[in-house]
Amino acid sequence: MCLTRRITMIIFTALLAFGCEPAPPSITPSGNIIKIGIIAPFSVSDVAKGEEGLRGIHTAMAMHPLLNNGDKVELVVRDDQNNPAKAVQALKELTHTEQVAAVLTLSGSETVLAMAGQANVHQIPIVAVLATHPDVTKDNHWVSQICFDNIFQGQVAAFFVRDDLLVDRVAIFKTPTNIYSSNLAAEFKDQFRALGGDVTDVVEILGEEADLVQTLTRVREKDPELLYMPLAAQDVIAIQQVLKQIGWDPIEMASDGLLATVISQHTEHLDLLDGLLATEFFHYLSQVTEFGQRAKKAHKGRATSYTAMAVEGFSILLDAMNRCDDPADRDCINRQIRSTTDFEGLIGKISIDAKGKAHRPLIVNGIKNGRMQYIVKVY
Amino acid sequence: MKTYVPGATFVHTSETEDLVERLLGHPSQPSIKPITVDALMNDPARGLAGVEHVVVSGPLETIKGITLLAAEYGFSVGAIPTDKQRRLARFYDIPGDVDAAIDLALTADPMTIDMVLCNGYVVLFQATVGQLPMLDAPIDAGKFSMLKAALLRIFKIDLIKYRFATQGGGEIITAASGCMILHHPKGSMAGRLIANDSTIADGSVSALISAPMSVVKYLKFLLQLMIPAGGNVTLPSSIGYLKSPVIEIEPGTELDGYIDGEKQTRTPLRCEVKPAAVRVNVGPAIRSEGTTENLAAERVDVDKLPRGKELKKAWKRERIPFFSYASEERFQDLFTALRDDSKINGLYLVLMVLSTMLAAAGLYLDSASVIIGAMLLAPLMAPIVSLAMGLLRGEETMIRNSLVKILAGIAIALIASSFITLIFPYQAVTGEMQARLNPSLLDLAVAIISGVAAAYSKSFKEIIQSLAGVAIAVALVPPLTVAGTGIGWGDFHFFSQAFLLFSTNLVGIIIAAALTFRILGFSPAIRSKRSMGIVLCLLALISVPLCISYGRIVEKRLMEQRWQKERFLVNGKYIIVEQADLRGIGGKQVVVMEVVVRDLLNRQDLKEFKKKIKIHFPGKLIVRVKTIYLP
Repeated sequence: MCLTRRITMIIFTALLAFGCEPAPPSITPSGNIIKIGIIAPFSVSDVAKGEEGLRGIHTAMAMHPLLNNGDKVELVVRDDQNNPAKAVQALKELTHTEQVAAVLTLSGSETVLAMAGQANVHQIPIVAVLATHPDVTKDNHWVSQICFDNIFQGQVAAFFVRDDLLVDRVAIFKTPTNIYSSNLAAEFKDQFRALGGDVTDVVEILGEEADLVQTLTRVREKDPELLYMPLAAQDVIAIQQVLKQIGWDPIEMASDGLLATVISQHTEHLDLLDGLLATEFFHYLSQVTEFGQRAKKAHKGRATSYTAMAVEGFSILLDAMNRCDDPADRDCINRQIRSTTDFEGLIGKISIDAKGKAHRPLIVNGIKNGRMQYIVKVY
Repeated sequence: MKTYVPGATFVHTSETEDLVERLLGHPSQPSIKPITVDALMNDPARGLAGVEHVVVSGPLETIKGITLLAAEYGFSVGAIPTDKQRRLARFYDIPGDVDAAIDLALTADPMTIDMVLCNGYVVLFQATVGQLPMLDAPIDAGKFSMLKAALLRIFKIDLIKYRFATQGGGEIITAASGCMILHHPKGSMAGRLIANDSTIADGSVSALISAPMSVVKYLKFLLQLMIPAGGNVTLPSSIGYLKSPVIEIEPGTELDGYIDGEKQTRTPLRCEVKPAAVRVNVGPAIRSEGTTENLAAERVDVDKLPRGKELKKAWKRERIPFFSYASEERFQDLFTALRDDSKINGLYLVLMVLSTMLAAAGLYLDSASVIIGAMLLAPLMAPIVSLAMGLLRGEETMIRNSLVKILAGIAIALIASSFITLIFPYQAVTGEMQARLNPSLLDLAVAIISGVAAAYSKSFKEIIQSLAGVAIAVALVPPLTVAGTGIGWGDFHFFSQAFLLFSTNLVGIIIAAALTFRILGFSPAIRSKRSMGIVLCLLALISVPLCISYGRIVEKRLMEQRWQKERFLVNGKYIIVEQADLRGIGGKQVVVMEVVVRDLLNRQDLKEFKKKIKIHFPGKLIVRVKTIYLP
């Protein structure tokens, strides 16, 4: 064999040896099935949370088709229509009739708070993926939040407004009938005032458009530089329409889930909402982790922050199950979820403390030229 | 005041007969005698007896026939072009409006102009032989369609032997694709090239000879024609120009001769001018050109046509090659200069020492201007360019001499700079030194572009001064000096990185310069294939660390950009990352941050801040923080 060929072969072999990643150890299926309950809104209202979230769960399942012991996970899905009573009923059925090992919910704060009230009774781990109300984990041992809560969200929003946007005067809008909205508005107000900012108005939105013109004209008189709006998407759109009508262009900031809902359900209003900022869970332009890259490969189709959160939530649940000798042991799963440390999420590390609170980065996104724009990430 | 002819004979065809009424209706009320072309040609002596002025409207052949008769019988001519005869209208500057054209045709102020005959045929615009891509296109043809037609002919062009002779006794044997005889420059792309040197009444006939020696030269020629230079029109590289009262054209093989676009004769072609032969009513633009007594009666400009060894190659080939070949006699001065550049001498050695000393001083002083001075002083570029030419042409002496000179230069620079390092009492890594320790693919790109520029500017005397700019861009001596400093300090990393940069420059320049010389036609092929292969292997080897380094730079920039969007909430204090600079120091990753905060950060806060970074960012990062406080 000539020297050149020998050298080529050595180089080729070396490349093969160093260039290939070792294949992951294969898992032998055990034949056992472990059920996991999913409670989410798939009809009536907040449909995006259910549909987009379920897509994320399927992506997580594609990434982990089997548990480490070879057991297969099966989903039992219930539509709660974002109704607390229906969610509580679904929780009861899943716990006792379906005998699921854990429940993952994509519902909003009000619904999850109702479930949390029953958690100690049913003694089943509940993973709240999107409910940010701080009381979701209060006085119970079974509900864990995967998302950040309103205390962190309100605090970061207040700091961002004051130090990044250098804004001193804000007006706050809230829906008094919505627990999430009231809670986040209150958190933001307290934090912003504590930081020395001036809250010119706290406006209650009751959904009557005729009042909005008058209300916003009145708010404008006190000259706030920014409107903070932890509201539902349709309320933010209505406010934006009136702002255009009266020729006022203040900075606007909304809260988690708003942009995901706009992108999945109100794309026709993207231009109208140009310039709107919002605290969020995810943006694909933010630095994506190795786990995020794998999820990106596994996921088919559109991805919103609901999808991303569901991928993370379900993966954390599977990770907790994998750390239990019996992956169907509810008590063990709950303990393991609440001792999650530095789990590699899509855009950074996630830890869940003993009280079920998640510690994770928060993203501030915006809408610019009809697209979601990544502004900053807060750790 | 304008005066009109009292009467005229109107020569027409059945298509232009209706102009009679309009001629009669002219305000000068001329007496018009209409006659058909056929009737006139049957018995011209009778039809033209006593005629002072003829107005003609009809096909080009009719107008040419009347022009011949005008030369014989001495009457003046006024032409009325038909709607389709735009070229004729442009040629004589006749207005497009029929009434205005009639007014000009009846004016009693004709201009005496030349008549050109090729093999006895009247040439109004041009006569062509062979292939003349783009030159024969009318000036008003769309640029895109002209270019498309010219490009389609790109691989069909071949050069054949031609002999040209002028009245003054000049004889030119060359190779060409075709030739064009022009009566007047107006109205064609070819005319643009000689617009300042030819008129309708200069007593001469002009010939443009097209001889693109390669596809590259052909493309260059097309470009020159499409984008004409401002005021001073120079002949493109593939064009020859003759101007004489008589021009004979004799191609190696018999070809068709086209007169004003019609196939009318065969070669050999004898084209001659009949000075001041006819009197024609022309528009003001032609009249303003006047006669050209001041122009040289005869001009022979054939420097850009093939000659010497080039002729043999041109005649041999069926189609023009992609790259051209220039004979050594054409570039004698350049080859002589390159051979001189490859020889080592005392001047070179002294300059190398001086430039190294200057570079070392500049590097220690961290002074860009002193280092630029060293770059300008450095004589390394010359032997590198000579080596490129030597490799291209397979000239062993040139290769050997250049290599010796380059290696001697490298040795001097390394030795001198390491000695200088020993003299300096401190080991300060300045910014200018640091800048030469991270070569990447971008540096290779700089070397390649510089190599092209160096070969290009060396090839043309008129831009030789640009070599100084190339020397600054590629900067050969400063990296060598830094490498020498590395030797002096015993720091292998320092030496290897700087020497890698120098090697990148060296190899990049050699390859790029050799290819540029090849494209410019200084060699028919890359002769020293083995040596060139070695250089290419070196390039491949160098590219590996450069690629890795480039990847690191891209990653660093992206990371620095990303950092500017990171915020930290630490112990109730909001930290904004304003700037981040990622540095690799001694194998460790150090990120130097500029953060903006409103509240005072204590040690506990900074500890927590660094802890968060450690959790969320992979790899071992050493964090250095500079704080800016918001009021």
